[in-house]
Amino acid sequence: MGKDKKVGKAAQGTTKSLPKLTKKKLKLEEDPDSGNQTAGGASTEAENNLRILKGKKVWKAAKGTSKLLVKLRKKKLKLEEDPSFDDQTVEGASTEAKNNLRILKEHKKNKAKPMEKKGKLSKRKKGGEDNKSFTSNGGQHLNKDDHVFDLINSGQTSENGSVEVKEQSETVGSSGVEEACIGKRIKTKKLKRVGKSKRSDHVSEKKVQLEKLAEVDSEKVDEISSVDEDCTRGMKKWLINYKESRQGLKILQQRIDEFITAYEAQQEQERREREAIAAEGGWTVVVHHKGRKKTTDSESGITVGSVAQAAVLDNMARKKNKEVALDFYRFKKQEAQRSEVMLLQSKFEQDKKRIQQLRAARKFRPY
Amino acid sequence: MDSLDFKVGELLKEIILDDSAIETLDRAVSSVADAIESIPEQLVSADAAPKFVADLGVPTDKKLSFTFKSPESIQVGGSHSIRSVAKPDINVDLLVRMPKECFHEKDYLNHRYHAKRLLYLRVIEKSLTTCPVVRKIGWSSFQNEARKPVLIVFPVVKSAELSDFFIRIIPTATSLFSISKLSLTRNNVRAFTQECGQTQATPKYNSSILEDMFLEENSEFVRKAFHEWKSLKEALLLLKVWARNRSSIYTHNCLNGYLIAVILSYLTVESGGNLITKSMNRMQIFRVTLKFIATSNLMGKGLCLQPRGQCNKSKEDMNQFLQSFDIIFLDSSCSFNLFFRLTRTAFEELRDEASWMLSSIDKCRGGGFEEVFLTKVDFTAKFDSCLRINLKGNSKICSSNYCMDDECWRISEKDVHSLLQQGLTDRARFVRVIWRSTPSDWNVEDGFSNFGNEPMLVGVLVSSQEKSFRVVDIGPNPENKEEVMKFRKFWGEKAELRRFRDGTIAESTVWECEPWARHLIIKRICEYLFAKHFLLTKDDVVHIVDQLDFCLKLSGKDPESSSGALLEAFELLSKRLRLLEEIPLRISSVQPLDPALRHTSVFPPQPHPLAYEKGVNKKPSKLATTSIQSLDVMIQLEGSGNWPVDRVAIEKTKSAFLLKIGESLQEHSGALCIATKDEVNVLMSGYSFCLRIMHEKGLNMLRNQGGSDKIKVTSSVDKELLIRSQHSSMINGLHGRYPTYGPVVRLAKRWVSAHLFSSFLAEEAIELVVAYLFLKPFPFHAPCSRVTGFLRFLRMLSNYDWAFSPLIVDINEDFTPKDEKEIDENFMLSRKSCEENAQNVEPAMFLAAPYDKASEAWTRSSPNRSVLKRISSYAQSSADLLTNLILHGADGPYTWECLFRTPLNTYDAVVLLHHNKLSNPQHLLFPAEMNCGKQVIRGKASKDFQPYMILGGGVQSLEDARNKVMVNFDPTRCFLEDLKREFPNTFKVWHDSLGGDAIGLTWEKKDSRKRSRDGEDASRTETTDALKRVGEVGKGLVKSVHLFKVPRR
Repeated sequence: MGKDKKVGKAAQGTTKSLPKLTKKKLKLEEDPDSGNQTAGGASTEAENNLRILKGKKVWKAAKGTSKLLVKLRKKKLKLEEDPSFDDQTVEGASTEAKNNLRILKEHKKNKAKPMEKKGKLSKRKKGGEDNKSFTSNGGQHLNKDDHVFDLINSGQTSENGSVEVKEQSETVGSSGVEEACIGKRIKTKKLKRVGKSKRSDHVSEKKVQLEKLAEVDSEKVDEISSVDEDCTRGMKKWLINYKESRQGLKILQQRIDEFITAYEAQQEQERREREAIAAEGGWTVVVHHKGRKKTTDSESGITVGSVAQAAVLDNMARKKNKEVALDFYRFKKQEAQRSEVMLLQSKFEQDKKRIQQLRAARKFRPY
Repeated sequence: MDSLDFKVGELLKEIILDDSAIETLDRAVSSVADAIESIPEQLVSADAAPKFVADLGVPTDKKLSFTFKSPESIQVGGSHSIRSVAKPDINVDLLVRMPKECFHEKDYLNHRYHAKRLLYLRVIEKSLTTCPVVRKIGWSSFQNEARKPVLIVFPVVKSAELSDFFIRIIPTATSLFSISKLSLTRNNVRAFTQECGQTQATPKYNSSILEDMFLEENSEFVRKAFHEWKSLKEALLLLKVWARNRSSIYTHNCLNGYLIAVILSYLTVESGGNLITKSMNRMQIFRVTLKFIATSNLMGKGLCLQPRGQCNKSKEDMNQFLQSFDIIFLDSSCSFNLFFRLTRTAFEELRDEASWMLSSIDKCRGGGFEEVFLTKVDFTAKFDSCLRINLKGNSKICSSNYCMDDECWRISEKDVHSLLQQGLTDRARFVRVIWRSTPSDWNVEDGFSNFGNEPMLVGVLVSSQEKSFRVVDIGPNPENKEEVMKFRKFWGEKAELRRFRDGTIAESTVWECEPWARHLIIKRICEYLFAKHFLLTKDDVVHIVDQLDFCLKLSGKDPESSSGALLEAFELLSKRLRLLEEIPLRISSVQPLDPALRHTSVFPPQPHPLAYEKGVNKKPSKLATTSIQSLDVMIQLEGSGNWPVDRVAIEKTKSAFLLKIGESLQEHSGALCIATKDEVNVLMSGYSFCLRIMHEKGLNMLRNQGGSDKIKVTSSVDKELLIRSQHSSMINGLHGRYPTYGPVVRLAKRWVSAHLFSSFLAEEAIELVVAYLFLKPFPFHAPCSRVTGFLRFLRMLSNYDWAFSPLIVDINEDFTPKDEKEIDENFMLSRKSCEENAQNVEPAMFLAAPYDKASEAWTRSSPNRSVLKRISSYAQSSADLLTNLILHGADGPYTWECLFRTPLNTYDAVVLLHHNKLSNPQHLLFPAEMNCGKQVIRGKASKDFQPYMILGGGVQSLEDARNKVMVNFDPTRCFLEDLKREFPNTFKVWHDSLGGDAIGLTWEKKDSRKRSRDGEDASRTETTDALKRVGEVGKGLVKSVHLFKVPRR
């Protein structure tokens, strides 16, 4: 059930976008005894909230609500423990929201944007997005359990046109509804819902059609929020990244020096360990170096001493000559011949295949 | 079976008519012939076509009236008579012999024959219009000769394959007139006089009549030669295909199918040296004929169909011919020159084509089948620059009669040709003038009034960069009065007396211009000459040279013009680097890597006012870009044994070196050094250079690291640097050899990025493809103009057989057969997977270069097959549009800009960017427009980044500004990187690396595992959410995101 709860919360925003009627209907279907009142109350509240919000400047309002939301969340927790207080608390919350907004208004005059709130807002936003994406996945996952989510999913499509702020305000309003749902869910049995899901599917289909129409009409398009405030993505991030990666030569040099020291220390340690192992046994392997001094380091293959380039080339040329001619033995000659025939044959086969491919591709029309 | 032979066989199958088609043809032809034969006798007079008769200049008197009698004979001539009609032009020549009774003895005079010939045809036309077997009747002219119309009859044919089939009714005049009256020296058009009133010989006019008289006889000769000779017929078809693909030689004043047949039959007989024998196959005959055309002495002494002994022409007669005509090829009667329409230039072109073809066959892979038979060598692609001249209503042409000895259109062809030849002198290797004067839907009732409505086409082959685009033409010495007069008369006010540096004084013309506009000199000369000598305005002469320059210019100037300063800056940098002493290892070499340093960058960076060394006082401009594009430069250090072995350690050591270098440059020369942990940029002389170190050990290490497979997977920094430097020096050399290479590459790159292919086709790959056009230009010569080069690039992209052939770019012809074998093997290896899975071929575009024989450098993973297909089809439509623009000009909405304007509704979703937040907004060609699709999200522009900054006057503010400069900062690139990170497999990203403001997205195919029952809706939500996130990722840059198509799962 824990998962269910999460999903339910996430769905707050989305459920709201469905026209009220269906929502009520849905509630009724789900639990005709208790949901009625709560749903009605919640929706009016949402409306209130919206009305308030419309009057305010969008940004500020959003901030206000977000703060409010945090509070609401806290209360929600309480509510879950004790579902009987539903209506009152929500009402109280909404008045609180009004108060909050009033305070915000005053703030606006000061024009100083409280950073704290901003931070909260962005957090909230992120959270909202996470939730959203979760809904779609979670919705699919939980299909068997709860048909509500079919509706939610379809509802989400319609949301495209709605303004973000509205969505947020709705979240506030619908919290009550959602709580009611949670309450119900615990009571209701799975078996009961199986039959209903079909009906609601049907409803949702109709809805989708309606919403598609609405899409065409609505000119409103979501706007990317907090363009110049958000440091985690977008232009701001790129600019910051750019600045941060160019701290000056000194610091860069220092970093590299640090790395090199660490690297050398590591190498040194490795060497010491090796030596220690050798020393432990008390034996060191002595290798007999035959002939001239070696010019390459046995470990890395790096040339240590210098060698005249001409000499090397000369040497290499001579080496080549020493190789036994391929046709030294008769059987080798025959082998070579055979392989050549084979090669020709395979080439012929390839030609044939290519011709077939060409025929399929038909690239012969000169016009 | 040989692969070439097979291909030729398949080609022939495509063009030969099958037996049932031939049967239908025959039936249609005989029914038309029957209809003609049954035309009753009737009186005809000039009233049947008064305008035509008047335009010919024939008085409408009684002499023109005659009694029409049905033709003496009707027989099939031309290609159908020898069963060698080649699709798609299916037509049958019907030779209709006009009876002698219809003509008077002296009708050969003053165009009376031509008038009566038409009147005769008019009767046939009238009676055929009511004939049930005829669908449609039209008019055309015989070999574009206005005074010799032919009747085009479209019979009723049911087969769809033959729907365009028509019959040409050609009247013949066998033995109508006395041959001696029509000999070359006679004047038969009395009005044709010299200034003093003396009549002039009319060889062209006479030949025009003689042609009709001997048409049947020559046709019979050809028929006899081709009788029961299959390979000869096939060779004729091949030659026709070859010639038809070359529109400038398959035309009225050069070759046609009939003349090819005559040449072939000539080569089979004794007089032609029996060059073709029965034992030869079709390709052998094809080659022999081309060789004959390329080497024969037609121009010098003339040929005769009859063997020497039987030809009754004396030497004087031959000389007479030589004086009257450019090329001589006497027919079987020895009195008519079959090639009387051929001009000298046309024949030169023909000869050049033929000999070039022979070398193509030898030099191209697979016998050059594509080059010889499939590639269109039309006017637009062949010539370096094309002119379209509108001469309609030009006083110079309309002033004289339409027809005297020759027709006025042919005469003006000649005039224009000689004018250009004289004006361009050795700037042009070759000038070709063709005017298809016959209107496509000619009605003889209109006379000649609609002739010449089509513009005249002129093609110019440029000789060489230095000659063609020189600024000064030196004329005669002032002492040579006569020459000076001529020069002055020709050039008018443009001629001026000049004293040159070496002391000589001479008449000359000067075409001063900016260095980057040198390619326009020829255009200016042509425009001047036409205005002076033909009184043509600029609108009447369209010279295709600079029409595409708009997409390379910045504020009216080609940015390439500053590349001199750039190279100087680079030289200075490398000098300073080499002289550095503080660093532990000396710098042994400095090599350029950036395309801007090899003239192939579309927008090479311009000197930046803030990128100069401290103390250098450059007068700063008011406005500067915030971001500076940095140019990659590769450095090699002298060898040392103290390098670490570990790869990470090597890279760290490298950056330590670079930092040190940067620091000391900063100290010594005052250059600004801006560094991150991955790159070190040095700002000096107005440019920014990004230094990279190549360490040879890094390469060796890789090689030591085991089997061949591993090398393919890992690509180290050093390997990449090595390849880039090799590529760079190779291309630099190429630019030295072909000055046009740079502009063509730039156009090509601009096109590729304008169509949002930047992420799929590497710049270097484009450079290689264009390099191929210059190194293996067959069947053309290497292009000398940007438009032509660009057109060929587009055609190459669309036509090249990428699936079955590698593209081998052989810069100095230093691939040995062994190398080629190696490449072939690599190629076959890469195509092996094709046998199992045709979709999954890598690389889809196999580019082999001297430094990269396995095509691993640039096209290993992209473009894949489907993207390549998309590129090809884009190239195809762009090439078609370009051809059309060159030949006919901009038509309605399809202008030159459209070549670079890409349709955005072909993507599944489109992201639009704020174009004033791009790093270089001035590079944007067109702001993207969006009027369809569903907008998902939109965003405001960030205020933190401005692409331009305003520079104040003071030193202090200059310092501040200097700190604000950003090196290599490109928001679009950052956005793309973030997108790739956040959505690794969701979609393909199509973008324009040169600064477009639109990014296309197409969904990658998803695995169907995640299919859920809520299907479309859920996926729609998911998509919109994803797209919203895309917008979020690019906030501050993204203007809006539009959705077109939800992914199908």
